[in-house]
Amino acid sequence: MEAIWLYQFRLIVIGDSTVGKSCLIRRFTEGRFTQVSDPTVGVDFFSRLVEIEPGKRIKLQIWDTAGQERFRSITRAYYRNSVGGLLLFDITNRRSFQNVHDWLEEARSHVQPHSIVFLLVGHKCDLEPQRQVTRQEAEKLAGAYGMRYVETSARDAINVEHAFTELTRDIFQLVRSGDITIQEGWEGVKSGFVPNMVHSSEEVTKSDRRCLC
Amino acid sequence: MSTPSGSPEREGSTGGPNQLECPPSSPPGMDHSMGSPLLSPDSSCQDAMLSAPAASPADSESLSPDELELLAKLEEQNRLLEADSKSMRSMSGSRRNSGSSLVSSSSASSNLSHLEEDTWILWGRIVNEWDEWRRKKDKLLKELIRKGIPHHFRAIVWQLLGNATDMPVKNQYSELLKMSSPCEKLIRRDIARTYPEHEFFKGQDSLGQEVLFNVMKAYSLVDREVGYCQGSAFIVGLLLMQMPEEEAFCVFVRLMQEYRLRELFKPTMAELGLCIYQFEYLLQEQLPELNVHFRSQSFHTSMYASSWFLTLFLTFLPMPVATRIFDIFMYEGLEIIFRVGMAILQYNQTDLIQLDMEGMSQHFQKVIPHQFDSCPDKLILRAYQVKYNPKRMKKLEKEYTTIKNKEMEEQIEIKRLRTENRLLKQRIETLEKGQVTRAQEAEENYVIKRELAVVRQQFSVTSQNLEKAQDTIGELQREKYTEQFVTGLQTQLEQSRLQEAELLGALKEMQDKVLDLEKRSSSLPDENNVAQLQDELKLVKLRELETLHSFREMQDTVTELNQRWQHHMSKSGGVGGHWKESPKKNALNELQDKLMGVRLREAQAQAELREVKLKAIQLESQNQIHGKLIGRHEVESAALQERLQQLAGQNKGLQAQLTEMKRKQAELDCKSKEEVMAVRLREADSMAAMAELRQKIAELEIQKEEGLIQGQLNHSDSSQYITQLRDQIGELKNEIRQLRGQRSKFAPSSRDGGGGYPDLCLASPSSAGGDYLSSDEDLLPSPIPPDAMYPALPHPHPSARLDSEGSTDSEAEAHPDHPHHGPSQQLYTSMVCAEVLDN
Repeated sequence: MEAIWLYQFRLIVIGDSTVGKSCLIRRFTEGRFTQVSDPTVGVDFFSRLVEIEPGKRIKLQIWDTAGQERFRSITRAYYRNSVGGLLLFDITNRRSFQNVHDWLEEARSHVQPHSIVFLLVGHKCDLEPQRQVTRQEAEKLAGAYGMRYVETSARDAINVEHAFTELTRDIFQLVRSGDITIQEGWEGVKSGFVPNMVHSSEEVTKSDRRCLC
Repeated sequence: MSTPSGSPEREGSTGGPNQLECPPSSPPGMDHSMGSPLLSPDSSCQDAMLSAPAASPADSESLSPDELELLAKLEEQNRLLEADSKSMRSMSGSRRNSGSSLVSSSSASSNLSHLEEDTWILWGRIVNEWDEWRRKKDKLLKELIRKGIPHHFRAIVWQLLGNATDMPVKNQYSELLKMSSPCEKLIRRDIARTYPEHEFFKGQDSLGQEVLFNVMKAYSLVDREVGYCQGSAFIVGLLLMQMPEEEAFCVFVRLMQEYRLRELFKPTMAELGLCIYQFEYLLQEQLPELNVHFRSQSFHTSMYASSWFLTLFLTFLPMPVATRIFDIFMYEGLEIIFRVGMAILQYNQTDLIQLDMEGMSQHFQKVIPHQFDSCPDKLILRAYQVKYNPKRMKKLEKEYTTIKNKEMEEQIEIKRLRTENRLLKQRIETLEKGQVTRAQEAEENYVIKRELAVVRQQFSVTSQNLEKAQDTIGELQREKYTEQFVTGLQTQLEQSRLQEAELLGALKEMQDKVLDLEKRSSSLPDENNVAQLQDELKLVKLRELETLHSFREMQDTVTELNQRWQHHMSKSGGVGGHWKESPKKNALNELQDKLMGVRLREAQAQAELREVKLKAIQLESQNQIHGKLIGRHEVESAALQERLQQLAGQNKGLQAQLTEMKRKQAELDCKSKEEVMAVRLREADSMAAMAELRQKIAELEIQKEEGLIQGQLNHSDSSQYITQLRDQIGELKNEIRQLRGQRSKFAPSSRDGGGGYPDLCLASPSSAGGDYLSSDEDLLPSPIPPDAMYPALPHPHPSARLDSEGSTDSEAEAHPDHPHHGPSQQLYTSMVCAEVLDN
């Protein structure tokens, strides 16, 4: 049975190797946590529906990418068709935080002419005693790039839903305000079907027109 | 796509460390079937198995009868194995390790064990006579490998296939372990996630993890360029399941060097791009519908295929199936990966076409990995049915490299063009700004020239003044007038100061006196009283006169009385007798005498009083006289004070005059000097500014020309055109050089020939100083042929055109035959117009 959704957003999850990208996505899409998972070789794909307001569901297509730098030749092809992104770093690994800027540069140079709404995620916040990056500095960095900042833990399921829903909401607002528009040949945002509206003649003609063009 | 890590197949019967310990000399077992412990009853699977030899008729044709027999035996063995596994499944369920399988199989059928024994003997022979087999029976060997290498032979056969039995790098291994690698941290992090469910690698400090780390680290040290790449650990892990770490290391080094793996794992991962490109070609050619579906769903090949190539299906398919594929990979290389990948897609085409992105993703993650669990042979058979043309693949490789090179070149070109574009934009901007500023500068220039003219006039006037002043100074000095005059003035000043001091002293005295007098006068009656007193005085004088009269009368009466008295006395002498006669008469006489005496005294006293009064009147009149005197003195002192002030004022005036005279003289000196300097400075400044301007104009002109050319270059698509243009530019540059040479010859003879700058000639007619204009000659803009602006126009000799242009446009002063005028004049016509209007 096809779930009904208003929009489909394509998100990309990036960040250094072993910061926990796959685990975070698995926790979000499958609701489970695996202590160990294969390193992502290339790109993985996941999807889930999110209800941002009662009755308003968004379908998220999530691209999980390999973190090791040499895989960028493969992963960079996926920036272009993404509307949003989670930029992960490991709060117990300072290096991964220092690389946030590089990741943004990488994304920015390959997303043109579009742009990606990023959310900065400090992952593994359950490992508080081993923390190497303070919340303040992460918030400051996020602010400098105009991002939100969220600390998550896939293991303890802290803020995982929140992170994805917040990003989805932000994108939804931008779509609604017209800052992000649905474009031919761009898969970042796609319009879905709204069951109640389909019956109205206006919507039918609208969707017809969309199909024709 | 990665396989679900929890699949039990990972720890399947193929790869247990316990199997490593099994000696190859142990009784023949069912190793051949290790890859498929749970054969499905699916008939199609069986069919595939049975038809396996038919898939390679070409191979079997060329085989010797001996080998054909062997093949037949193997097939028989396969059939029996299958039957056996069926019976096994029904009888004893699953078998977890080879040991039990060995036992059960040997007990199940003596015929089977016989066949197994044959296989063992065969593989033993192959290993022993490896070189001969590779030379003479390569095709049979290939066939045998496709059917699966018996587990116990895998270690040695892989080493032999990889030609990794005797490698010098093996000796370095222990040394490498002592070193530390920059990738260590990353390797360490990934080790725990490599086959995490497999017995051998389970647990943080397991032997498996330790040796895996060692091999990965050793390799990262041997090959610094590749270092460590995620995914490669799975391949090493598989090797480690079969052989000790040194051997595994050697085989891995060979795989990297000889099997394209190194190119796959290089930091650029260019080989992966090529593999995907080649795979996409196969997909397009053999499964066009699926390809279209993938494209419509934007399901990229890299999404599922990158892990296929990077981990050789080890993270995608269950271990037994992946190991079978690896057997073939060891012999045939990456070709098998293409074949298996295509076989998988072919097998799933109908399912995939009906699915959307999510569905396909799920299908790839959940369904496909386990499709061939029971019959890996089916997959391998299908893989060999895939059309694979190595020549075509080579061609594709070439195509891809050219595409990539082109892309890279294009990217470089794009980058170059971008930077160029940016620079040109900047140049245009500066040029635009430059034009504006140039106009402003021209205006300023004009203004400056005017100012200069004015200044010059001023200068001449001031210099005249200066001369005059100098003359007067000279005169004055000659007459030594100044000094004397000054000393005279000084003495005058001193004198006046002395006078002033004296006057001041006098004034003070006078003031004191005045004050004194005032004090005194205040004690005296005022003027009205004086008038009254004068009146009174008159009255008093009148009374005095009266009194004097009465006094005289009185004296007269006194004298009369005295006379009378004497007369009386004389009479009384005679009358004396009377006295005697009458004492009364005597006493009366005496009283009369006394009365007389009193009266006399009274009269005298009155006279004295009158005298005193007189004196008082006299004093009063004296007082009056004094008062008048004081008044006069006061008037006098006021007059004196006035005079003093006048003098002081005069004095001041004189002093001021004196200082002014001095200042004026100094000022005059300074001014004249300053003016001379300023005029000179201004002259120099304006000359420099004009030189600069001219240089700038020339530069900007060149830049603009360049920009135009480059802009046209940018916009033209055809490289031919570009080269043509470049040639033209080269020619033009040569010409420019020649022209410059000519120009340098012309330059000295072309004084005032600033035809290129008619604005200059027009703007400075008043200041037509020769030296001022002469500097222009050096700053004339280097001539740019007009062809640069209109490259399409064929003008092989721009100078010819220049000449005509120059003669028509040049101003009165320009030399018509001067080759430099043309372009600049042409370009600055508007400027000239503006200048003319201004003038």
